[in-house]
Amino acid sequence: MNVPFTHFYGSCLALAFAGYKDGILVDKQEEFQVLALHHPLGFSCRVSILLLMADKRKRATAENDSDEDDNGEQPMEAPRKQAQAALAFRKRLKPDNAILATVRKIADSAKSYKPQTQSLADLNLPNACKEVVDLSCASVMAEIEKTIINIARSILGGNGFGYSVPSRSSANQLYVQELDRIVLKDKASFRPFANMASVRKTTITTRILQLVHQLCKKQIHVTKRDLFYTDVKLFQEQGQSDSVLDDVSCMLGCTRSSLNVVASEKGVVVGRLVFVEDGDRIDCTKMGVGGKAIPPNIDKVKDMESDALFILLVEKDAAFMRLAEDRFYNRFPCVIITAKGQPDVATRLFLKKMKTDLKLPVLGLVDSDPYGLKILSVYMSGSKNMSYDSSNLTTPDIKWLGVRPSDLNKYKIPEQCRLPMTDQDIKTGKDLLEEDFIKKDPNWHKELEVMVKTKEKAEIQALSSFGFQYLSEVYLPMKLQERDWI
Amino acid sequence: MIGLLDRERLDEELYGDYETEKAREKRLAKEAREQEKQAKAAAAGKKVKDSNAVKLGKGRGEALFYKVTCKDNGRGMPNDDIPNMLGRVLSGTKYGLKQTRGKFGLGAKMALIWSKMSTGLPIDIWSATRGQSFISYCRLDINIHKNVPNVHIHEKRSNEEGWHGAEIQVTIEGNWTTYRSKIINYMRQMAVITPYAQFLFRFVAATPDKNISIRFARRTNVMPPAPAETKYHPSAVDLLLIKRLIAETLKQNLLQFLQHEFTSISKFYAERLIGEMGPEFTPKMPVKSLTAQQLVRIHQLFRQAKFGEPTGECLSPAGEYNLRLGIMKELHPDMVATYQGSVQVFEGHPFLVEAGLSLGGRDVKPGLNIFRFANRIPLLFEQGGDVVTRTATKRINWNSYKINQVQDKIGVFVSIVSTKIPFKGTGKEYIGDDIKEIASAVKSAIQQCCIQLKSKIVRQQQAHDRQQRKRNLSKYIPDVSRAIYGVLMEMADGQKSKKVKYDDDADDLLKKVALHQITESTFIQKLGQHVEQVDAEMALEYATQSGMVDTAREPIYLRTLESDYKFALELHNPVCVMKLFSDF
Repeated sequence: MNVPFTHFYGSCLALAFAGYKDGILVDKQEEFQVLALHHPLGFSCRVSILLLMADKRKRATAENDSDEDDNGEQPMEAPRKQAQAALAFRKRLKPDNAILATVRKIADSAKSYKPQTQSLADLNLPNACKEVVDLSCASVMAEIEKTIINIARSILGGNGFGYSVPSRSSANQLYVQELDRIVLKDKASFRPFANMASVRKTTITTRILQLVHQLCKKQIHVTKRDLFYTDVKLFQEQGQSDSVLDDVSCMLGCTRSSLNVVASEKGVVVGRLVFVEDGDRIDCTKMGVGGKAIPPNIDKVKDMESDALFILLVEKDAAFMRLAEDRFYNRFPCVIITAKGQPDVATRLFLKKMKTDLKLPVLGLVDSDPYGLKILSVYMSGSKNMSYDSSNLTTPDIKWLGVRPSDLNKYKIPEQCRLPMTDQDIKTGKDLLEEDFIKKDPNWHKELEVMVKTKEKAEIQALSSFGFQYLSEVYLPMKLQERDWI
Repeated sequence: MIGLLDRERLDEELYGDYETEKAREKRLAKEAREQEKQAKAAAAGKKVKDSNAVKLGKGRGEALFYKVTCKDNGRGMPNDDIPNMLGRVLSGTKYGLKQTRGKFGLGAKMALIWSKMSTGLPIDIWSATRGQSFISYCRLDINIHKNVPNVHIHEKRSNEEGWHGAEIQVTIEGNWTTYRSKIINYMRQMAVITPYAQFLFRFVAATPDKNISIRFARRTNVMPPAPAETKYHPSAVDLLLIKRLIAETLKQNLLQFLQHEFTSISKFYAERLIGEMGPEFTPKMPVKSLTAQQLVRIHQLFRQAKFGEPTGECLSPAGEYNLRLGIMKELHPDMVATYQGSVQVFEGHPFLVEAGLSLGGRDVKPGLNIFRFANRIPLLFEQGGDVVTRTATKRINWNSYKINQVQDKIGVFVSIVSTKIPFKGTGKEYIGDDIKEIASAVKSAIQQCCIQLKSKIVRQQQAHDRQQRKRNLSKYIPDVSRAIYGVLMEMADGQKSKKVKYDDDADDLLKKVALHQITESTFIQKLGQHVEQVDAEMALEYATQSGMVDTAREPIYLRTLESDYKFALELHNPVCVMKLFSDF
């Protein structure tokens, strides 16, 4: 018998059954049946899968019966019991209007929230810090020209040349409590041309300066990939041109967007949001299930309008799709946004703009693992790589909605959906415990401690063990109703 | 040949290799070729009858019969002891505690037993001690059931050359083709660990083109001292051993026995121990009268009490000098480092780890090449489980010493000497990875070698970089010049159309660009000069730092002189002293 095929059908059918139970994907299951019957081996496969499942259910029931006597409060429970638990949560849900009322209160309080006006200069920090600002094309050009004239003169004087580049290493980063974000200290390193270690970077920097100069002169935008392809022979790989690009923006003291180089679009947004992009009016409720790709250059986004009550920040694509397909934003007016993993600059800028323009609370839905928290931290206090631009990129005050380590037991997530943390995970978790942005909030610290102690992690998808729509129909409404965020 | 005559087969069907009709039909096409081959083999078999290694046409698979001769110029064996030394299992005399290669002489006896099992032929022995006027010749085999030597011939022959040493010859079944590499490897490893000895290995094959002759030359006359015999450490003895020591001891009472038959027990300590043993023990009690129960108590106390550690003075490591010499002589590496650890203790037995590390060389495969030695004998088999292999492959971060574990030709040499090597398994093939003390000693010895090499590697890389620097820097000059000139041109264009204003200095520069007084090649030229200048500075700095002059160097080896010479004059020099012969 063809084992891979059996396996394939097995998993497909199992999924199809799960879907059937929830009342969706019915025709898909029929489709599979047809498929299975038409395949020469399909029928026997299907039958064996059915038998297998029946057998499993029988065994599970037997186990369940014996377990029930001693202690029912264990997190490890038989499937039937889980279903009951899930149902219990569903029953506790109040009508949508009641939930909406609680959410509205939060939204109103967020409206009155005043954005932080403090800047780095106000703080009088002991060490000088480097920050960048948005510059117009003309001033970027002027900066580049000044640099080029200087090095040209140095070369003609027979002294070679070099660049003084601010260091972006973690030793040069500083977390500022008052601003709740990471900033760059003023340490810089000199990269001379006549040195084996720095000659490549210096050359690439010069070339990038020339390319950016052209871009600014013509006032056009290109992606990082475009930039890389203009001189593949020199850059060799995109990572090199990308990192030098960050160095250049740091060196010139402007944001990366002002260099007219953007990253290709990665983030998507869907929900109750209307904005104007380069003259076109975009309604994010009419974007289907895929959502609107977040435009790479934020300066072309204007006039944001929304009747949403909150912004839901989702870590990954799968959960985003579920929410979009279920039109979660119509049941609870909100804007759903994701960067599909680690956020890019455009998504962070977009979130920041939404937050400042619309004054909505931001709720984060990430995996219950150290990386989920890391992603939240990048949104909130910035990445170390781009800390020179943290003032423009960070959105402080994101609420951690879920999935939190304490949710695993609270929502009775079954054992088979929890994963043991790897040694690397545990190390990352322990390192995070020492990070300032976790320490400042005792609730967050407590949650992370729970994670490190239980050594268990779970993805957002773990909630699907109660049915694919559990996330949008039970978990999130429940969370909103209970105002269960920290 | 005695006992193994080639006989005609009378009943062909009796033999295992008899071919049935069917099988023969199937291979009809091959038959001609097959026959040709057989004829050739038969011819070859006859030709080599009288040579050193005898090949008989038909053997079991690859196994054939070989005559193995081993000859040395050592101390030899006394004439009367030869039958017992070689013809009786477990007749050894080495009962003291000592760093030894073997313990009971099992190795030689196993060879004899194997020859008896495979060919049934006796072994031949020639031996002479130093200054002996005759050579003892003995032909014997062993009566395995009675464990007594069965002497065929035992006679004295003339020794005109004044030879001393031993020569043993056995005829055994063996498989040369499969184990050739192992045997040569063993010889090579022996040569590494004993550069003060010369080895000559010769294989005489059926056809002369397959003959092998390898000479491993002698390079020094510095030999490690013979290991000294020592007494047992109390924490290393078991009950049986205590009984044996009591049976053999000449000491009368318990106090003397404890004080003199063990290391690390002083008189004062012996008294304390006896006091601790219980009321039925007294220092003056006769040691031979101890009951079995009392012995158990002594053993128990030995296990629990704390003793000073054995000193390890009895050990005889190869020494860094010899190890380094052996590595250099056999592998001709580009770099070599050696390290000798300090004496450590495992279960009452002192041990010492020496390590050598080589990079590059002749006949060395890329990657890790591991040479293991236990009490200065090479270990060949079961490499995978050995503590040295495990440590070198798993616990050393080669990258951090600038060594590429996959591409570089790395030779790792670890020699462990001890009064008791804790072999794993019965074959004495490898040392287990489960002994923490040994594993960490091996690791730190290898690491010490790595540290020594790292600085050499870094220096070598710097020298290499220095040669590459100018070329690498110059490579980027056109790119940079083009980029700078590109921006300047744009600026000059902008200035021409009066769009932008620049300050005076820039203005001056841009005018020159506009008038083509400064072009791309100006930058190329200026940068080129700058690179030259920096390179010259760096070269000077490098030379002052390392103080080395790179001239062609060639290694020379000085051999020691065998006999006495008269010297006339000594020429002194900071590096060496030269003596001139007077009677030449």
